[in-house]
Amino acid sequence: MTRQKRSHHKLKRAVAPYLYLSPSLIIIGLLMLLPMATVIAYSFQNSAVLRRDPSFAGLKHYQAIFADPVFWASLWHTLYFTCMSVVFHMTIGMVFALMLNSDRINPILRNVLRVLYILPWLFTAVIIAVIWRLLLEPNGVVNSILMQLGIIGSKVEWFSSPQTALHAVTFANIWAGYPLFMVSLLAGLQGIPKDFYEAADIDGAKAYQKLFFITIPQLMPIIISISLLDFIWTMQVFPLIWITTGGGPIYSTEVLSTYTYKLAFSSYNLSQASASAVVILLISLGLTLFYIRYQRAR
Amino acid sequence: MAEVVLENICKTYGNNFRAIDQLNLSVEDGEFLILVGPSGCGKSTALRMIAGLEDITSGSLRIGGVDVVDMPPKDRDIAMVFQSYALYPHMTVFENIAFSMRLAGKPKAERKKRVDEIAKTLQLTSLLDSKPANLSGGQRQRVAMGRAMVREPAAFLMDEPLSNLDAKLRVQMRAEITSLQKQLGVTTIYVTHDQIEAMTMGDRVAVLKGGVLQQVDTPKRLYESPVNAFVAGFIGSPSMNLFEATLKGDDLTSAAFAIRLQDAAFVRRPGLRSYAGRKVVFGIRPEDLYDSSLESGRKYQTIPAKVTSIEELGSEQIVHLNIDAVRVDSGDPDAVDDFGLASNAVARFEPISAVRAGSEIRLAVDDAKFHFFDPETHLAI
Repeated sequence: MTRQKRSHHKLKRAVAPYLYLSPSLIIIGLLMLLPMATVIAYSFQNSAVLRRDPSFAGLKHYQAIFADPVFWASLWHTLYFTCMSVVFHMTIGMVFALMLNSDRINPILRNVLRVLYILPWLFTAVIIAVIWRLLLEPNGVVNSILMQLGIIGSKVEWFSSPQTALHAVTFANIWAGYPLFMVSLLAGLQGIPKDFYEAADIDGAKAYQKLFFITIPQLMPIIISISLLDFIWTMQVFPLIWITTGGGPIYSTEVLSTYTYKLAFSSYNLSQASASAVVILLISLGLTLFYIRYQRAR
Repeated sequence: MAEVVLENICKTYGNNFRAIDQLNLSVEDGEFLILVGPSGCGKSTALRMIAGLEDITSGSLRIGGVDVVDMPPKDRDIAMVFQSYALYPHMTVFENIAFSMRLAGKPKAERKKRVDEIAKTLQLTSLLDSKPANLSGGQRQRVAMGRAMVREPAAFLMDEPLSNLDAKLRVQMRAEITSLQKQLGVTTIYVTHDQIEAMTMGDRVAVLKGGVLQQVDTPKRLYESPVNAFVAGFIGSPSMNLFEATLKGDDLTSAAFAIRLQDAAFVRRPGLRSYAGRKVVFGIRPEDLYDSSLESGRKYQTIPAKVTSIEELGSEQIVHLNIDAVRVDSGDPDAVDDFGLASNAVARFEPISAVRAGSEIRLAVDDAKFHFFDPETHLAI
């Protein structure tokens, strides 16, 4: 092979991977990076989108949203909604995964439970919102059962009362999201060598000791990965809240996503909405970086 | 330390598969007993039943005089070393060794003292803070031993603990485990499918086949006096050569040879006379077949054979041969590997032997080294 041919071959080998990657890179650039950059630019402009030649506004819109008590309420609601969702997704997912992995349960029943437990995952957010709106209606099934059991004395307006709306919407989201944890943890449980438990049996470990000394440490990489991903995804949940409560009543279920949406499409304050969106982006980015770092450390 | 006694132990699974059939075995206090057999013979099942990890369908099991059939594993006063070592990857070497003490609620100082002692014995002191992933195979093996030792059990149970190691390390660890067992004097039951481990490590060896105990004896007696063709074929590497022949008077004959048996052969085996005029299985170990061109001094009888291939090992030559006689299968699935496609016998020749592949030679045989088995039952005559 001549020298020229060799260098041509080398160049081809160097460029080839980028050529293969280019379609996805172009799509990501056009559909994600460009809109993201545009939103960041809008957040520093006056009357973004609405005017042809918007002026530079500096940090004005950020100052405005940080001065808005509804923003802080939204942030707090977002954190409550997200943290509660992640903790309960994990707890319920773990309990169900342990049940499905247990050989003390009849295999046929286990298969039935496997299908039942995974059902929430089959529904889209809109269906879930509609189901829970119907179930939690003042004249709905939940109130009727709770009243019959004597747990509540009168009908509760779960989604319409500021005292219960955030809890109700969080509950609906917990119900909708645990199967991801359940499936992932079940896969993890099935990967734990049986020898570990047998060795622990010989050493005299009780069931709870096996759970805390073997099962949970063995599942920890999955627990951390899925929790971080769930945190990132739950922070951005919009349709469930929008359809069940719309952020109300009196901002009691307002989260960052609904707050931003309202700024953009109710108040038509697209610049301020962009600033709020950038705040969500920064929080998500922080978590994502943490996630990537954790994955690398593994 | 304790005696382990198995009486009429049976294990039958739900599909009526009998993994262990009427196993009777008595392991003396401080004895190193090896359970050996081919894959699927039930040796690991037997060990797991002793450990309490498998239910015993019927029979009695006593450890230190106590009937433990209905006892959970933790109350049986045994420690087990698993094939995979079962070391917890998220725990350090120290935590792995101290795990049973931690479960038992032993104080930290006591745990440290005991683990330090064991680490010193096993030369693990510098590795106590390491995780299993950072250890070599041999070190992991020692940690698994340490974890078993920390409990000071009445008996050690070991399930093929060396099978994950490479050949060289296995030889080293074989010696280490043997000397450790002698040092500790703890009753040990060791499962392996490797008959070299069985022969080199144990005080006695129990050979299992299809869930049935074939023979329990010292390695030397197993080798010299196998009770049946299976044990004869299983113990020894390469396997014993087994052929069908007919006993005509004092002559052992096949299509290609007639070997005159000395009187001593009949004196040692009075039953052999009753096979006169009948077929018999005779066995001869590879090291008892000689290159006749090197045996001019000794007056051995010879039989013709064709050399099919030669494995030069430096210290010896493994010579694959074809003898014009019907080879008998010992029933050991692993023994098949010892014979090449075109050969039905294996001999161990001295390195100075000049035989070549493809050549016709005469094999010198010492009929005093023959083993005889019944052609139907395969039991030793």
